[in-house]
Amino acid sequence: MNRRKWWDSLHSAHPTDNFMNFSSQDNTNESGEDNLAAGIAYDQLLRCVHCGLCTSSCPTYLETGDENNGPRGRIQLIRLVADGRTDLTDRMRHHLELCLDCRACETACPSGVQYGRLIEPFRQAIEAKDTRLEKRWDIFRRGILLNLFPYADRLRYVLRPMRMLQRLGIVSAIERLGLLKLLPGRLGRLAQMLPSPTRPGPRLPKFLPAVGRKRARVAFFVGCVADAMFRPVHWATVRVLQQNGCDVFVPRGQGCCGAIHLHNGDPLGARRLADANLVAFELDRYDAILVNHGGCGAMLKEYGHHWHDGLQPHRARFADKVKDVHEFLDNLGVVPFSGRIEVSATYHDSCHLTHAQRVASAPRRLLAKIPGLDLRELPEAGICCGAGGTYNLTEPEMSDQLSRRKLDNILSTGAQVVLTANAGCLLQIQREVRQAGLGLQVMHPMELMDLSYRGEKLELKAGSEKGKMKMNVS
Amino acid sequence: MSNTELIRKLRAALKPENVLSVPSELVVYDCDAFTVERHIPLAVVFPRSAVQVAEVVRACSDHGCPVVARGAGTGLAGGCTPPPNGVVIVLTRMNKILDIRLRDAMALVEPGVLNLQLTNALSGTGYHFAPDPSSQGTATIGGNVATNAGGPHTLKYGVTVNHVAGLEVVLGDGSILQFGPVEDPAALDLARVVCGSEGTLAIVTKIWAKLTKNPQACRTIRATFASIDDASQAVSQIIAAGIVPAALELMDRGILDAVEAAFALGVPPEAAAVLIIELDGPEAGLDSLLEQVIALCRNWNPGEVLQAKTPAERELLWKCRKMAVGAVGRLSPGYMIQDGVVPRTRLPHIFRRILEIAAKHRVRIVNVAHAGDGNVHPILLLDERDRDLTARAKAASREVLEECITCGGSITAEHGVGIEKIELMEKLFAPADLRAMHRVRQAFDPASQLNPGKKYKTICQ
Amino acid sequence: MTANTASELPLEQTVSPTDELTVAALIGEAHKSGTPVYPIGGGTSLDYGPQPARPGIRLSMNQMNRVLDHPADDLTITVEAGMTLAQLNRHLATKRQWLPIDAPESVRATVGGIVATNACGPRRYSHGTIGDYLLGIRAIDGCGEAYAGGGRVVKNAAGYNLPRLMVGSLGTLGVITQATFMVRPLPTHSALVICDLPSFQQAECLLAALGQSRTTPMIVELLAGPALPFCPLPALPDTAASRLAVGFEGSAADVQGMANVLCDEWQALGADGLTTITRARVDSAWNWLSESPAMLQINVLPSRLVGVMEQVAWLMAASPLQAHAGNGVLRIYRPSPPAPLPSTDEGSFANLVQNTLRPIVTAAGGHLTVLATPTGVELSPAEIWGPPRPGAALMRSIQQRFDPAGILNPGRYTL
Repeated sequence: MNRRKWWDSLHSAHPTDNFMNFSSQDNTNESGEDNLAAGIAYDQLLRCVHCGLCTSSCPTYLETGDENNGPRGRIQLIRLVADGRTDLTDRMRHHLELCLDCRACETACPSGVQYGRLIEPFRQAIEAKDTRLEKRWDIFRRGILLNLFPYADRLRYVLRPMRMLQRLGIVSAIERLGLLKLLPGRLGRLAQMLPSPTRPGPRLPKFLPAVGRKRARVAFFVGCVADAMFRPVHWATVRVLQQNGCDVFVPRGQGCCGAIHLHNGDPLGARRLADANLVAFELDRYDAILVNHGGCGAMLKEYGHHWHDGLQPHRARFADKVKDVHEFLDNLGVVPFSGRIEVSATYHDSCHLTHAQRVASAPRRLLAKIPGLDLRELPEAGICCGAGGTYNLTEPEMSDQLSRRKLDNILSTGAQVVLTANAGCLLQIQREVRQAGLGLQVMHPMELMDLSYRGEKLELKAGSEKGKMKMNVS
Repeated sequence: MSNTELIRKLRAALKPENVLSVPSELVVYDCDAFTVERHIPLAVVFPRSAVQVAEVVRACSDHGCPVVARGAGTGLAGGCTPPPNGVVIVLTRMNKILDIRLRDAMALVEPGVLNLQLTNALSGTGYHFAPDPSSQGTATIGGNVATNAGGPHTLKYGVTVNHVAGLEVVLGDGSILQFGPVEDPAALDLARVVCGSEGTLAIVTKIWAKLTKNPQACRTIRATFASIDDASQAVSQIIAAGIVPAALELMDRGILDAVEAAFALGVPPEAAAVLIIELDGPEAGLDSLLEQVIALCRNWNPGEVLQAKTPAERELLWKCRKMAVGAVGRLSPGYMIQDGVVPRTRLPHIFRRILEIAAKHRVRIVNVAHAGDGNVHPILLLDERDRDLTARAKAASREVLEECITCGGSITAEHGVGIEKIELMEKLFAPADLRAMHRVRQAFDPASQLNPGKKYKTICQ
Repeated sequence: MTANTASELPLEQTVSPTDELTVAALIGEAHKSGTPVYPIGGGTSLDYGPQPARPGIRLSMNQMNRVLDHPADDLTITVEAGMTLAQLNRHLATKRQWLPIDAPESVRATVGGIVATNACGPRRYSHGTIGDYLLGIRAIDGCGEAYAGGGRVVKNAAGYNLPRLMVGSLGTLGVITQATFMVRPLPTHSALVICDLPSFQQAECLLAALGQSRTTPMIVELLAGPALPFCPLPALPDTAASRLAVGFEGSAADVQGMANVLCDEWQALGADGLTTITRARVDSAWNWLSESPAMLQINVLPSRLVGVMEQVAWLMAASPLQAHAGNGVLRIYRPSPPAPLPSTDEGSFANLVQNTLRPIVTAAGGHLTVLATPTGVELSPAEIWGPPRPGAALMRSIQQRFDPAGILNPGRYTL
């Protein structure tokens, strides 16, 4: 039915069910096995009772106020396709792509709808069937997202000249002049995201022994982007673990968790990476596999239900061993911190830590034990900062809106330090802070804990004049 | 004027990004949280000011097409289900808190501000916005005004109408009027008449909300009972003793199963019903009042009486209560929630009748209730795909509400009539009463422009 | 205190029906013949509004004063409209309950009249006004047809809020025959803390501080000018500009505790000369604060009250002033002891209202209302209430639909 006819049917009579048989302009006419929703758990669709209690947890709904950009609306759109009542239109696709997959709605949902298990396979199906030329030949997606990011070594290699430029002060000069924006599209955004140059430090050794009484044997997951860009955080984390009586193993052969592939429509690529990890970690040797970035942790914990083949039980067993480092230390009982850290700080919940893994109170409990630390609750702490994995590259406009919202909330607390436990959030908030010229310090909680154990002081950066004004105003 | 022309006009008035007109984007506005009846609207608009709302209303009026205002769409009675050929005015982009004046204990807000957003903005001031419907985390204050929303704490503090000092509204002819916030002996109290009118009299574009001082102290307990009868007897007795708790809530075993699955509240499995009782006020007299309440509960053999010792424990209790309805998805793919109200002395009776009616119609009913207000919320579990079950649930629903009327109660305490209960209005009110209401409606909206087909049937008028 | 007596109304006949059917029949007849009907409760507000111009029937509701239903355990009560507030509260007191609102002359004021005039008193600060307790209503419209709104349960979202519509409508939408109220348990103790203040500025300071007080006051009254007759409180010393009276209700422990806390809070703010009144004396003081009928009423936002009050105190030095300060309601009484009202250039009362007081009130964003027109003075609606409001057309449209022939209290309200 063409659009004209659709309008006619809309206005000819009292609305009835045949209403829903509308078709899109870019008609792809699927049914049965071919249905985009074939891979989703239909029972999850039924669980949604349309109460709407999720909407205000959704960052894109908060920004737009449109049901189409909220979890309830998106579930309804998916269900319409699943029930074969309509085909996917461009507009619907846009609303589904605008989802950050932050899973805040899962935390909010009293009926326990696992939204991630609806949107993720559905988006994969969309990607897989997307026959549009621009998508097929998307060099950015294939070249950078899928073949560069997930490989720490390649990434480090590519980043080397960039770091050189940064160290020479050229990048910040370029950034000040706004010239980075001149780089083509997402590449430009990517360049803006790069953290400021710090010495990455040596690669983590295979084994780091516990300090004091031995309490656990753990394996540490290093990941890709996290290792390339935040190696000092890894070092801080393993030192904290050592202080807590953990023998830390860093198995060789491990790699990216696979999240980037999975969320960009390449489930097979993701499986390849997952299975490499399966080989690298000898499960029986460790009490737990520890992760310090929320995004990687969420993916590792979900290994059990993404692919249904012969290895599925092994992956499920692997997933059971995975623990977020905060969660683990909180359960283990943290060894008292030694040094005082006299700063005010606020903690931002990484979506994949708080919503996907439901780890929200553990980091706060740990931080509250650092002597001298003035921990202030962040308004809208659980609302996404706009990073959303690679979202800041794929949906720049919404991403920017959300990171500004996040920064305003951070400033309202008056804290000197923002803490968050995920690489994407760290990059996003750092960029926002840098662009505003603020003296805010953006750190991983483990870094602060490490400073305390080592009895070192935190040196606060000064912001630009403009940035200082902004902080005073708020 | 054709529909295309109307949409062109709306786009010109509001900018294209604030108008949805593509069918596949309209479909998510076909209902609110009452899903049994749905209509896809003609267009959806997101105005950002009263002037824009007025422009939309005028354009639609010229076009002869009705409008319905919508907030977060959490209504449970179909109050913002689009009328056929209707335009939905979504007020979520009018979401600013314009002014907070503590000296006057008042806040000026736009209708799209979330209920909890206002209370959060007031944190640290010693004030809060008292209406606390279970959906307060997502529901808008405009929606609270439209339905005259209640919540657990309305027992002591009253419903939304008691907390509105003034309104700015747009009428069906596109004129903008302000009622209040200063009390005016020379005018009818129209702000409070608009409260609870479910968008049929006017579209609210600004609200002067009264703020309530936080209580000095509170005590929250949870008492379990071996039967819903015992629990409701205890409620009746507490009220009869002249005690006005801040909140007095009841949940039965059925809903507890869902709540336990969602939040692990830890109610023993043998408990058939639980009461959540909150007392607040000056610290001095609170403990003796609590003892009095517990003593009254003891007359009905409570299993365990636990007091929330920390704010976190209290928060968990309230989270369980407020999220209970949403958790029903764990029991069933669909539900209808009723909103009957009876005199508090008739609570045990109505619960007994609900059980009988459930058995008779072979429908599973689970119960939550603002018991202190006599406000019962039987939730009928159904699956919309099972037509027979849905029909039985509707019949049972109707019977429950008819029983409420027989008891001297009403068919809705806080959800509103919407389209869901419209058939029952003629049972509750005499024709003359409905005519009186219609006079008010005609005066506000002579052309039946605003949310027609809701609240009561206008055909018979 | 009323200036006019009922006999001064142009009434051709007086009827005192005893049931609703009779009222309906009477109004039905009046509708046919176009005869105005002036419903009268206790007759405490006969000098409120313009005097009726058209002769008509005096409909006295005094004989309709029964309790219809009092399910005490449900804390609600349904009564006929002609019952006085004092009668109602006497009945409720047998069950240790009450309707916690005030109205001047509660021995005469009927519940129907209180609803129609929206009369209020000090307790509105904590307990609200009659509309907050009015669950349901029955009334006879201008065609003689009975209609009901609301219900008998404490929470009700079915239908429009017709009870609220009736509040303050001065009988123009129907003659109220029955009302259902939510009632409250009777408090056992009360206390009053009094503080005399040298300046209005200091009063504003203490009032603003109440917002952060750890106490929960029931009434917040600010008094100025000469005392009303029969004042049970000590006279205001010459050095004081105004007197703040804050009351508490509840259990003995609550009341005493909060009175002490408030005294501490005020002393910390530098206030001295505090008096706490408890036991027997508090009742008479409290009654005295709520029972006197006022001549003029000003409504403003609470934050604007003290400023307006200071100006009025200066302009009308002979008039006792009483403000429900927490609500922004200022009541101005007739001069006491009786004295001529302050004269203006033209010397008339109308001029005082229109050209002196109203500009002050309007500038503060409020409303000035003449509650009782002095004997021998004639005022137009604009002088009594101020200019027509923006919503006047809508209100008139509502009124015309309830009373198409215009026979209910014609010419006595703004509609």
